Amino acid sequence: MESTLLSLAHGFAVAFQPDNLWYAFLGCLVGTLVGVLPGIGPLSGISILLPVTFGLNATQAVIMLAGIYYGSQYGGSTTSILMRIPGEASSVMTCIDGNAMARKGRAGAALCIAAVGSFVAGTFGVIMLTLVAPPLATIALRFGPPEYTALLVLGLIFLAYMSSTSLVRTLLMACIGLLLGMIGIDNMTGHFRYSFDLAELGDGIGIVPVAVGLFGLGEILSTPSHKVRGEVISPKFRELLPNRQEWGESVMPIARGSVLGFIIGIIPGSAHIISSFLSYALEKRVSKHPEEFGKGAVAGVAGPESANNAASTGAFVPMLSLGIPTGPITAVLIGALMIHGVPAGPQLVTEHPDLFWGFVASMYVGNLMLLALNLPLVSVFVTVLRIPYAYLYPLIIMFCIVGVYEVSHSIVDVYIMLIMGVLGYGLRKFNFDPAPLVLGLVIAPLLEQSLRQSLIMSNGNYFIFFSRPIALGLLIVCAVLLALSALAFALKRKDWRAKLAEAEAGEAQG
Amino acid sequence: MNLRADHVAGATFVIFGAAIIALSGDLPVGRLSMPGSGFLPMIVATLTIVFGAALVLRAGESGRFSEVDWTDGKHAAMVTIITIAAISLYTYLGYIITMTLMVIALLVLIERRNPLRAAAYGATLVLVTYACFVLLLKTPLPASPFSY
Repeated sequence: MESTLLSLAHGFAVAFQPDNLWYAFLGCLVGTLVGVLPGIGPLSGISILLPVTFGLNATQAVIMLAGIYYGSQYGGSTTSILMRIPGEASSVMTCIDGNAMARKGRAGAALCIAAVGSFVAGTFGVIMLTLVAPPLATIALRFGPPEYTALLVLGLIFLAYMSSTSLVRTLLMACIGLLLGMIGIDNMTGHFRYSFDLAELGDGIGIVPVAVGLFGLGEILSTPSHKVRGEVISPKFRELLPNRQEWGESVMPIARGSVLGFIIGIIPGSAHIISSFLSYALEKRVSKHPEEFGKGAVAGVAGPESANNAASTGAFVPMLSLGIPTGPITAVLIGALMIHGVPAGPQLVTEHPDLFWGFVASMYVGNLMLLALNLPLVSVFVTVLRIPYAYLYPLIIMFCIVGVYEVSHSIVDVYIMLIMGVLGYGLRKFNFDPAPLVLGLVIAPLLEQSLRQSLIMSNGNYFIFFSRPIALGLLIVCAVLLALSALAFALKRKDWRAKLAEAEAGEAQG
Repeated sequence: MNLRADHVAGATFVIFGAAIIALSGDLPVGRLSMPGSGFLPMIVATLTIVFGAALVLRAGESGRFSEVDWTDGKHAAMVTIITIAAISLYTYLGYIITMTLMVIALLVLIERRNPLRAAAYGATLVLVTYACFVLLLKTPLPASPFSY
């Protein structure tokens, strides 16, 4: 514990360096804007701005990109409350009661509760991250190739199990991602795979063109400007503080949302989205007045907003301690670290303490910055929301092209981005979530290497995965998850995931 | 037969998986004790075919293919065409000229905005972002044949 506190103090020394403070602030500001603007999610925001960080060192880059991620969770609530349009997917539940509060003249109070809830949950998440990640990384140092193989398979199965679309659809997307990740030179034998004599494909397909195409351009292709309309409610500055009753009603939902969100955040999947849905359901169940939900219940804003922020911090635990992405956003962040020559994983704490602890400390500071940014600048965000989407998306396309081109100055990458954009558009039409594709792309090299190393170690005997306790334990969890899915399918019973998907679809239409 | 959305999606993935296996012909699969570069691609392509077939078999749960909403198709096609043109010209005409033309084309051809306003907005936007990239972020952008 003492060494953790000493390391954290060192982290604060890193985070308080003026450059790092500036990039944390910039990340939080840009993240809030990304969250506020409908049509740009945190994933596309991070992907588009990834090349901007190439001139920075690894610590500054990851501080800024993480700021965009958790900043977008804060910003998403503004659009939800003032326009009833979720700025990004995890803010869907905030739309219901947040906008109802705004229509009752309590927009300022709803924004303040969302911001304070996000701050408390974000800070709780960082404290837990500080306590949980280093010991987990110590355990992970004992992992060999079989354990990593089992862990990566478990990650994919967990993602599929938690997905709001079907298990088959999610695994299909992961397979496509894995196949894309195998393009280029095979590291173990030197063979060229599926590169069609294009020298640019020798190094494989980068995560940036794929992520920017699927989530940036793909979103624009499926969003004509006439579909993006909404009335913005302008809160007055003096109305920003909630009254005593509203504070009282928000305390327990914020506490419950923080704990629930952090736990769900560690589990692979679109944790920040799922956590806000589950938190809303939980608050409705424990409320003495469930009939008020949907009509402006304070708990309906405080719970989900806290949960999605805690979940976004919880997602950093497996990323930092195991080097395993739990979702597409952490996958892009791992990609960013790799571009800067820093492998994410258990060695991060010991070999790059400046980066690890500086990053953790910067999140404490970032959460404070976001609280200070979100409330005073609400009128600025309202102005941003009034920019017509027709003028906004050409700017996003510009950033997509420039962002992808600047990674390696390759026009082939920009064409790949375009192909991925069209693919993303098509996938949405057929109800596929492209997020597992990005995850598959990122873990493909690690999965292939660890699987082949495991088989070489065991002289081709698959029993190696069952003879090592950690790998066996992880594979048993895989089997249980697959059995649960098969059971729900065989009994044609709607389990909690199906109900969640229905609620998500219903709210998206509403 | 009622053609469902998942019939089309599943069949596409089955064909894609089969194409990957066909393309993997010259990649050595190796032995279990020494897997080659074609080992995992073969496994994943087979899984893609299996999952694609599962989607086809369960296609009755999906909507009709004819009911897939393509009303945004024209918007998507036009944005794609304009983006292809911009990408093709990007390294030849440089950032300023290509991006200004792209923004104007998007606003005039798709959004039916006044050409003069679109030109003013496009030029301002491109110059401001150019200044941000080149001066603030020190990121070199492709120059035009006229050296800017």
